[in-house]
Order: sequence, then C-alpha cells, then structure tokens
Amino acid sequence: MPPLDKKIKKFLKDSVRIAPKISSKGELTELRTGLVSPYPQTRKDAIKKTIQQMTVGKDVSSLFPDVLKNIATNDVEQKKLVYLYVMNYAETHPELCILAVNTFVTDSEDPNPLIRCMAVRTMSMIRVDKILDYLETPLRRTLQDDNPYVRKTAVICVAKVFQLDKQLCLNLGVLTDLVSALEDPNPVVVANTIASLTEIYAMDSTVINLNDLIQSHVSKFLLALNECTEWARITILTVLSKYSAKDSIEAQDIIDRVTAHLQHVNPAVVLATVKVIIINLDLTKPQINDPVMKKLSSAMISIMSTPPEIQFIALKNIRIILEKYPELLTKETRIFFVKFNDPLYVKLEKIEILVRLVDASNIKQCTILLNELKEYTREFEPEFVSKAIQALSQLAIKYSKESFCNKVLDILLELLERQDTFKDDCCIAISNLLRHCPTSTQMVTQACGLLNTWVEPELILNRDEAKCNYVWLLGQYPDKFSSLEERILGFVENFRQEDPLTQTAVLATIVRLHTRLPGTILQTILELATKETIVIDIRDMAMMYWRCLSIPGGDELVQQLCNTAPPAIDNILDTFPPEILKKLIQELATISSITFRPQATNAKKYVRPETVVKGKKLDELKNIAKNEIVKNDEVLLDFGDDATEENNKNTTTLDDLDDLFNFGTVLPKESNSGTNLESDFNKLGINGGRQDTNTTSTSTTTQDLMDLF
Amino acid sequence: MGNYFSSMFDKLWGSNKEIRILILGLDGAGKTTILYRLQIGEVVTTKPTIGFNVETLTYKNLKLNVWDLGGQTSIRPYWRCYYTDTAAVIFVVDSTDKDRMSTASKELHMMLQEEELQDSALLVFANKQDQPGALTASEVSKELNLVELKERSWSIVASSAIKGEGITEGLDWLIDVIKEEQL
Repeated sequence: MPPLDKKIKKFLKDSVRIAPKISSKGELTELRTGLVSPYPQTRKDAIKKTIQQMTVGKDVSSLFPDVLKNIATNDVEQKKLVYLYVMNYAETHPELCILAVNTFVTDSEDPNPLIRCMAVRTMSMIRVDKILDYLETPLRRTLQDDNPYVRKTAVICVAKVFQLDKQLCLNLGVLTDLVSALEDPNPVVVANTIASLTEIYAMDSTVINLNDLIQSHVSKFLLALNECTEWARITILTVLSKYSAKDSIEAQDIIDRVTAHLQHVNPAVVLATVKVIIINLDLTKPQINDPVMKKLSSAMISIMSTPPEIQFIALKNIRIILEKYPELLTKETRIFFVKFNDPLYVKLEKIEILVRLVDASNIKQCTILLNELKEYTREFEPEFVSKAIQALSQLAIKYSKESFCNKVLDILLELLERQDTFKDDCCIAISNLLRHCPTSTQMVTQACGLLNTWVEPELILNRDEAKCNYVWLLGQYPDKFSSLEERILGFVENFRQEDPLTQTAVLATIVRLHTRLPGTILQTILELATKETIVIDIRDMAMMYWRCLSIPGGDELVQQLCNTAPPAIDNILDTFPPEILKKLIQELATISSITFRPQATNAKKYVRPETVVKGKKLDELKNIAKNEIVKNDEVLLDFGDDATEENNKNTTTLDDLDDLFNFGTVLPKESNSGTNLESDFNKLGINGGRQDTNTTSTSTTTQDLMDLF
Repeated sequence: MGNYFSSMFDKLWGSNKEIRILILGLDGAGKTTILYRLQIGEVVTTKPTIGFNVETLTYKNLKLNVWDLGGQTSIRPYWRCYYTDTAAVIFVVDSTDKDRMSTASKELHMMLQEEELQDSALLVFANKQDQPGALTASEVSKELNLVELKERSWSIVASSAIKGEGITEGLDWLIDVIKEEQL
C-alpha cells in the first residue's frame, strides 16, 4: 500500500483532471478515440497503453495512422514512444510512413541533440523505401552535427542505410563522410565510425579499402582508445589486431599503449587486448621473463574469476594461446584446478588446459597434478571422470618417465577394481601407456593380468576405440591372456556389428596370431572381411592378407608384416596444425576461438542486405479503388430499383457502403441484366467519384468502368 | 453526469481541451508559411511538407491544435486520416496559380463531401495577394464555386502570408464561428 500522503496527492490529481482516462482493457476502439482525443493528457495515456499492448505482443498495427498523428510533439517522452511504435509497425503501413517524414526531418534540426539523434536513428531503421528517399538531408546534417552524441549515432546510421540500400548509400556519397569521420576529435565517434566501416566492409568488401584505412589511422585509434567507453574500446582493439606493425619498435609501441587495458573490468576488453598483444608479440620476440608476459598471464588469471560462461570462453582462448606460448602460464597451474561447483563444461576445459600447462621437466608440479587428477577420477560425473582418465594417460606420456607411467597405471587399475564403469576409458588409457613404455614387462603383466579377468570383453566394452585397443593388446601380448581363442571368437561372432576400427583390429590380430589359432577362425574372418564389410579398406586389407597367406612362404611374410614393433608414442595431446593455429591466433576472442575452426575465407557474409518494404504502387492503389467501385456497383445492382433513392442519400452512403463492403467480394454478374446495367453504371460512376475522396480512385473511376465493359 | 461536469469545467477555466483546425490546399499554396505566421508571427523559410506539421497555439483564450498537411498529390489521399473531430478547415489557395484553380476547386469540394467534415467551418485564404497578377478574393471565390456551398459557414479572405495581411482577420472570423457553434 502506498503511503497516505501519496494517496491523497493521487486523489487530488485525479479529481482535478478533466481529460478522460483510458481504461486498462486496451480495446482498439477505445485506444483509437484516445489517440485522437482533444486532450493532450488522454492522447499520451492512449499512446502509453498502445505501446503496452504492443510489448505484450498484441497486434495494434491498425492504430498506425492515429498514433502517427502524435509524432509531432514537444514532449520527449511521448515522441520516444511514438518513434518506438513507428519502428515496430512501419512495415505494416509503408504508404502511411510518408506522413512521418516531415517530422523526422524537422526533428533532425531540433535544438535538443537527443531528439536529433533519435530522429536520424529511427529514420534509418525504417525499412520503407519512401522514408529512405528523404533520408539524405537529415543524414548529411547529423553527420556534420556539432554534438558528438549525434555524430556517433549518424555514423552507425550510414551502415544501416548501406544494409538497406547499398546503391542509395553510394549515390549519396556518405561513405566519404564516414571515412573523414575517422578524423573526428571525439574518440567515441572514431570508434563508432570504424565499427560502421567494419560492418560495411563485411557486407561488401569492394566499396571501401578497410585495411588501408586501418593502416593509416593507427595512431588515431591508439589515441582514442584511452578515452572511450568499454564497447568502443573493444571495437578499436579488434581493429588494431588487424593492423600489421611495420617493425618491432612499432609493435612494442602498440603493446605498451594497450597493456593498460589488460586490467579492465570487462573481460571482453581484456581478451581483445590480449589478442592485440599476442599478435604484436611475434615481432618483438619477447623472453619468457618479459614484463609483458607477466602482465598477460595475470590478465588471463583475472578472467578466471568471472562467471563460468566467460571462464569457458577464456579457457578456450587460453588453449589457443598456450599452443603458441606454452610457458606463459606454467607457474599458475593452481588457478586451473577444478572447483567442486564449476559447471561441467568448465571442468572439462580446465582439465584440457591443465595437461597442456604442466611443465614436463618439473617433477613436483607433475606429481601435484597427478594427485589432483586422481582425485577427479573419484567424481560422479561420467564425462568428467573419462576426461580425467584420458588426462592421466596424457600426463604420464608427457612426463615420459617409466616410474611415473607405472604410478598412473596403478591408479587406473585401482579405479577398475573399484568401479565397473569407465572400462572403455581405462582400456584406451592403458594401451596408450603400454605403447609408450613397450619394454616394461612389469606394467604389461599388471595390466594384462587385470584385463584377462574380463569375461566376454566384446560386451563389456562399448566404444569402438576401446574394443580396438583391447583386441590390439590381445595380439600384442597373446601370452598374457588365458583362453585366447575364446576371447577372439567372441569378437569374430560380433564382427558384423562392429565399427571399422574394431573390425580392422580383429582382422589384423587374427592374421597375426593365425599360427596359434585353429584354421577355421582365420578362414571365417577372411571370408567375413571380404564379403560382409562395407568398408573398402578392411576388404582390401583382408584380400591382401589372403593373397600373402596363399603364396608359398606366405606365413613368413605375414609374420614379418605383423611383428614389426609400432613406433612408441610420445605425445597424445591434440595440437593445431601451424596454419590453423596462425589463423586462430588472428581470430582470438571471436566465435572461431570457441569452435577451433577458423573463419572460412569465402564464407557467407554474416550480414545480409535487408529488403526494403515498398509502398503500394499507383497500379495497386488503382486496383483497390477498382475493387471498391466494383463492390459499389454490386450493391446498387441488387437494389436496381432503389437507385434514385440511393442517389438522394448520397451524403450518408459512405457509411452504408462501408458496411456493405463486408458482405463479400463477388464480381458483378455482368451477364445478369444486359443494357440496363450500362445506365446504372454510368450513374454510379458519378456517385462513386463524389463519394470517394481518394484522388487516385476518382481519376480512374471512369476509366475503370470503361474497362469493365 | 461526468460529461456535464467536465463541460462546466471547460467553460469555467477555458479548459485544456484543444480545438482541431486543418490547413489544407494544393502544394505550394503557402500552408506552412501561414501556420508559422499564426504561431510565431514570423515568416519562416519552408520546404515542401512531406507529411504534416502540427502546432498548438492559444488564440483568444482558446487552445488551437493546428494541422498543416502536405499538399503533394501523393499525400492528398491521406488527408482523410485527419478529418475526425475537426472544428474548422482552412483552405489555402495560391491566387496567382490560375491553371490549377480547377484542381483546387475539385479537391475542396471532394473534401467537403466527407461526412466527418459536415459540421466544420470553412475559411478560404486567397493567398499570395502580394504577387502581381493575383486574382481577387471574389474571383477566387467564383473559380472555386464557393456559392454552391449550402448549410456551411464559410468565408473567403484575401491574404498575404509573407506580409501578414488578412491572416488575423480570417482567423478572427473563424474563432467567432467556432465559439458560436461549439460553446
């Protein structure tokens, strides 16, 4: 409940008020009367109610002409509301928009910069050709406005107009104005100008030479950078990242100028700054102890204390940066340790970073991480645990010492004993470890000892990769497994349902072990692989084996083929190819940095030119008028005898006709009554002309009637 | 009851109710100039009105809401959107433009056919009297066939918006008629 004094005030205000109120029901008829009310207060209320209806999604477009009448007002609030309405519904009444032109043009000269700005902004937003026709004067005027607030809006409007009608924009020559706006003394105007130019360049790269403009205005951008809003800063920084410095001195200069922004609160500014620095670092060839590197790393760490969504983006970007500068964050491992309340996507990304971050020469750090990852395997989220298991094997292989691998293996085996899940991941990890240290008999015995306990491994394992690894282990260490034949037979039976990787592994393993296995298995698998698989590689492989086995001395050849030792793996971390990495560095802090896919060079333009709504052409209006006349005639044809009476009532017919129009759109039955019609039509032609104030229809009435016959 | 009170208030304090007046006429007749002559009493440089101008002015204790609608052929069809609740129409004619007198006459009569305008008064300004070769008020009246108008208070005044002649006279007449009819 509002306090008493407020209630009294409201009561007094209401009782003094003469202007009728608008009920809160918001019926269209009520709103319409309200909008044309002789009381300004009622009109304003009605506008507010209309906008209210508009925002809840009700269609109030039929009020367009009446709302438009209120556009010329000195009340800024009311003006803003009407502008809002016009923006929303202009396309539904393209012809009527012309009535607003005068107000737009007048408003663009208003002493109040807010109104000037609003006028040009709204005008360039309305996608109606008639409005665009009159845009020239206001746009030119506001581009040269004294007030920077108006100028900064006007430069953005140029891009909007370009999007709506490129040709018009070129004809007006406003692009030249836009380019000269880069010299503007106001930093925000400069920032908006370059944003606008970038948009235009994205829509059509032939009209301006953006790169040259950037190259020649770098000092201007650097000056503007410190004095503008955070969003303008992002724009400028993005543009700076497209600039290629001439030499290391200039690059260093740019780095020095932007470094201060690494401490900005807005993570987008920080990331944009990081990008500029990273790109220029190439030229300056910094040492790891360089203060810039320290600042960079502390900036990244500061982003890690933001909300998880932003952290995720930061982590993705950090991963790219780490590939370029792996030592950058080495000392900051702890920041990336997973917190219990991190969302899953952040956790997964953190693990990726951790494994890449850790310094392989630092035993202490590796052990800490090992223990940390071991903890992670006890978590409950399956994706997270599989990632941790994968990371464990990655870490072990990165650190590369056998004893360390052994520790990891122990962890994995312990995990397998403890839990039934994650067999897939462990199996892959174990075989990776064994491939890294193929000589360690102790590890092999341990690992295979456990794997040997699995009954029906083809059913226990789910993922193609895991099965493939298991089968490979069978082939590699056949002596360590009991009932080898049974295990392999299981896989052969399921051969048809397996994925290509497993199929290949089964085939190769059986061929490899064919001396130890009954001949029927070999025969079955060769037949299966040549006849039942759709993968051509497996078929070819089987054919080749079959051929080798059937030639004399083939057994030895096959033994030779199969028993060569595979190269030891020393890294199982994914890395970007150098080309991609280069592109990704250029595209840091964009969507490409999240998807790890650089923008295709000939990608579709992300800004499509908008279509402009055209007002009805004269022909269409003629048609509308024609239809009305046809309907008029219809009505009067039916009441042929009363024609004279209708004539007398001339002045009131309009209403009657309006009602009658609703009755249907049947064309006149021309064959109906022959010659009488003609005289009727002629009479009515004159009536119709008088009744209809629409000039177009009047001028065409006679013509239309002639056409009808 | 509410209506009764509000009309009583209106009479007591002149109220904040506005009276709608339309200024119509062919393009280039001087509508916008007349509007600003009325409002600020000065001649402003104008350009063709695409759309409308609207100004609120207080004249003889009445609040007038004066609408000046553009006269281009393309905009004339939309005049009718503004007819509702109109107390008076000021029709401006360029007295020197003899060729288009018939067009003006046609537009005027067609407009007056509108039911919404049946009760509104009509004031015709035979404008641009300062120009050489301008027709006199009576000549314009003849050209426009004003005598034909029945059951309507109308008047024609020779005027010059540039010099400010005739404007106030015309408006005085109009205000008297409105006061008589509405209050």
